[in-house]
Amino acid sequence: MKPLLRSREALVTLLLVLLVVVTGLFNPNFFKPDSIVEIFNASLTLVLISLGEMFVILTRGIDVSVGATAGLAAVVLGTTLNLGWPVGAAALAAVAAGTLAGALNAFGVTFLRVPPIIMTLGTLGIYRGLMRIITGGSWIENLPQSIKEPNLWSFLGVPFFVWLTLALLALTAFVTLRVRLARYFYAVGDNEAGAYLLGLPVRWTQFAAYTLAGTFAALAAIVFTSQIGFVSMNAADGFELKAIAANVLGGVSLTGGVGTPVGAAIGALFLTAVHSMLIFLGVPGIWDNAFAGIILLVVVYVDYRVRSALELQRRQARIRGDAGGGA
Amino acid sequence: MKWTRYLRSWEFALFVLLLLELAVLGLVNPVFFNLENLLYSTLDFTHILFAALPLTLVIITAGIDISGVSVMGLASITLGLVWVAGVNVFVALAVALLVGVLAGAFNGFFVSRTDVNPLVITLGTLFMFAGLAQGMPALLDKLGFKAYGSAGLAAYQYEGITGLPDAFIALTEGSLGVVPYPFLAVLFFALVLSLLLHKTRFGRYLYLIGVNPKAAAYSGVPIRRVLVWAYVLSGFGAALAGVMLTSYFTSARADLGGDALLPIITAVVLGGADILGGSGTILGTLLAGMILGFLRQGLLALGVTNDLIQVVVGSLLILAMAAKQLLHVYGEYRLKRKALSSKDGR
Repeated sequence: MKPLLRSREALVTLLLVLLVVVTGLFNPNFFKPDSIVEIFNASLTLVLISLGEMFVILTRGIDVSVGATAGLAAVVLGTTLNLGWPVGAAALAAVAAGTLAGALNAFGVTFLRVPPIIMTLGTLGIYRGLMRIITGGSWIENLPQSIKEPNLWSFLGVPFFVWLTLALLALTAFVTLRVRLARYFYAVGDNEAGAYLLGLPVRWTQFAAYTLAGTFAALAAIVFTSQIGFVSMNAADGFELKAIAANVLGGVSLTGGVGTPVGAAIGALFLTAVHSMLIFLGVPGIWDNAFAGIILLVVVYVDYRVRSALELQRRQARIRGDAGGGA
Repeated sequence: MKWTRYLRSWEFALFVLLLLELAVLGLVNPVFFNLENLLYSTLDFTHILFAALPLTLVIITAGIDISGVSVMGLASITLGLVWVAGVNVFVALAVALLVGVLAGAFNGFFVSRTDVNPLVITLGTLFMFAGLAQGMPALLDKLGFKAYGSAGLAAYQYEGITGLPDAFIALTEGSLGVVPYPFLAVLFFALVLSLLLHKTRFGRYLYLIGVNPKAAAYSGVPIRRVLVWAYVLSGFGAALAGVMLTSYFTSARADLGGDALLPIITAVVLGGADILGGSGTILGTLLAGMILGFLRQGLLALGVTNDLIQVVVGSLLILAMAAKQLLHVYGEYRLKRKALSSKDGR
C-alpha cells in the first residue's frame, strides 16, 4: 500500500478508476467502448498541452501562455490552409509558429532573466492579441476538408489522433527516462546550482523546456482544429491553467525535478473524464470547473498529508535506529 | 541627503512616468487635460486597483493569489442572488464582501497549513469559485427558487441579474466634487493598506516571511495567522472589485472580471513588488495600476484596438521586468567592482 500512496500517478489512476466505476454503476452506457474512446478523443488537446507544460514545470518554471500559444498556432494553421497551402505545409507552419512562440518565452526567461510567470503572463496577452490581429477578430471557418480528414481515420476502432498521441506519449516517456539529455530537465529543476556546478547547460536546458512547450501546444492546435473543423477566437482559452492543474494532479511537482509524462497525461485524462462523467451523471456542464477545482485541492491536500505522515515515520524510524546504534 | 533617497525610489520613477504619460496623452488628445474626464475614466479600471492593492501584500510574502478574478464573479452573483431573495441591496453588498473574506480565508487556510505552492492552491480555488458562481443560479432554479430575477433563466444567462436599485447603481455613478466614489474608495483603501503594511508589526511580518520564512518562524512570527490575513485581504479586495463592477455594469454576473488577471498582476509587478517575495509597496501598485489604466484609456481614445492594447501591455510588462533584471545584474557587477578596487587600495 505504501509505495502506491507514495506515487501520485497511482493515486490519481486509482481515483480515476473509482470514478469510472461509480459513473458506470449509475449509467451503464458509460462502459460502452464508444464512450471510453470519446473520452480519450476529447482529452487529446489537454494531454498534448500538458506534456509540453511538463518540461517547463520539471525545470521549476511555469508557462501560463501555452493556451494562447495553441490558439496562435491554430490561427496560423487556419490562415495558411485558407490561403491554399497543402495540409502538411500548413501543419508545419503551425508547429513552427508554436515553437517560435515557445522560444520567445525561453529567450525572456533564460537570457533576459524575467521570472517565468511574468514572462509568460506577458506573452499570454501578446499571443492572444496577435491571434485577433491576424484574423481581424473573426473565426476562421470554411477550412478545407483535408484538415478534417485525419480526425476520421481510425485503426482498430481507435481514432488516428489517439494513436498519434499515445505514440508521442510513449516516446516522451522513453526519452525522459532513458536519454541523458532529457534527464537534464530533472537535474536543473531539482537543483539548479548543483546542475550548474556539474557543468550541465542550465540555461539551454530551460530554453529547450519552454520551446518544447510551444511545440506541443502547436501539435494540440492541429489536433483540435482537425476535430472541430474551425478556429474560434477563444480556442484553447484557459488551457494554460488546466494544463498546470493536470500536471499537478499527475504528480509533476511545481518545485521542480519530480514527475513523469505518464503522470501528466493521466492528470489531463482525469480532468477531461470528470467533464464526461458529470454529463453521464446528469450534472449540468457548468459544474465542471467547481469539480475540477475541488478535486485538485483534495488531491494536493491528501498528497501533502501522506507526505507529512511518511516523513514523520521516516524520522521516527531514524531516531529509533540512532538510539539503538548508540547503545 | 535624505530626500534624494526618495527621488531615486521606484515609486518616484513611476510617478514621473505617470505625469509624462498624462502629458503625452493630453498633447495628443486634449480631453486628457480635463480633470473631470480624466477622473471619470478611472471607473474603467478601479476594479483592477481594488484587486491589485491587497494582492501586493500576498506577493510580498512570496505567495500569489490568482483566484481573485473568480472571487469577483462569485461576489457579484452572491450580491445579485441575495438581493433577488428580497434582502436590502446594501445588506446583500455586505454579504458579497463577506463571501470574499471567506474565499480569502479558505485560500489562506490551505496556503498556511500545507507546503503546497500557493499558485496551485489558488488555481484550484480559481476553478472552484468560478464553478460555484456559474452553478449557483441554475442549482437554485432546480430547487424551485427563482434566483435570476423576473426575466427568467434564459435572460439571466444572457444579461445577468438586472434591475438593481438606483441607490446601489449610484455608488459608481456618484462623485464627490469631480472625484468618483469608486476612485475615492480606492484611494482610501490604498491608504489603509499602506498604513497596515508600513506602520504596523503585521506589515513588517509580511516582508520578513517573504524574505526568509525560516528566520520568521524562528523569531516567533505567527506565520500562519499572518498569511491567512494576507489572503483574506486579497479576497476582500477582489470582492470589492466584483461589487464595484456590478454597480458599474448595473448587473450581477458570474463571469465578471474574467479577463482581469493579466492587468492585475501586471500592476503589482510593475509597481515594484518582487514575485519571489520580500519587496513591494502599496504606493507602487497604485501608481503602476493608474499608469496601465490611463495607457489603456489613451490608446482606446486614439483608436487603437483592444487586441493591440493587449499586445502593448504584455510587452510593457516583459520589458519593464527585463530592464529591472538587467539593472539589478549591472548593480551587482558594480558593487563587486567597487569591493575589488577598495581592496586593491588598501
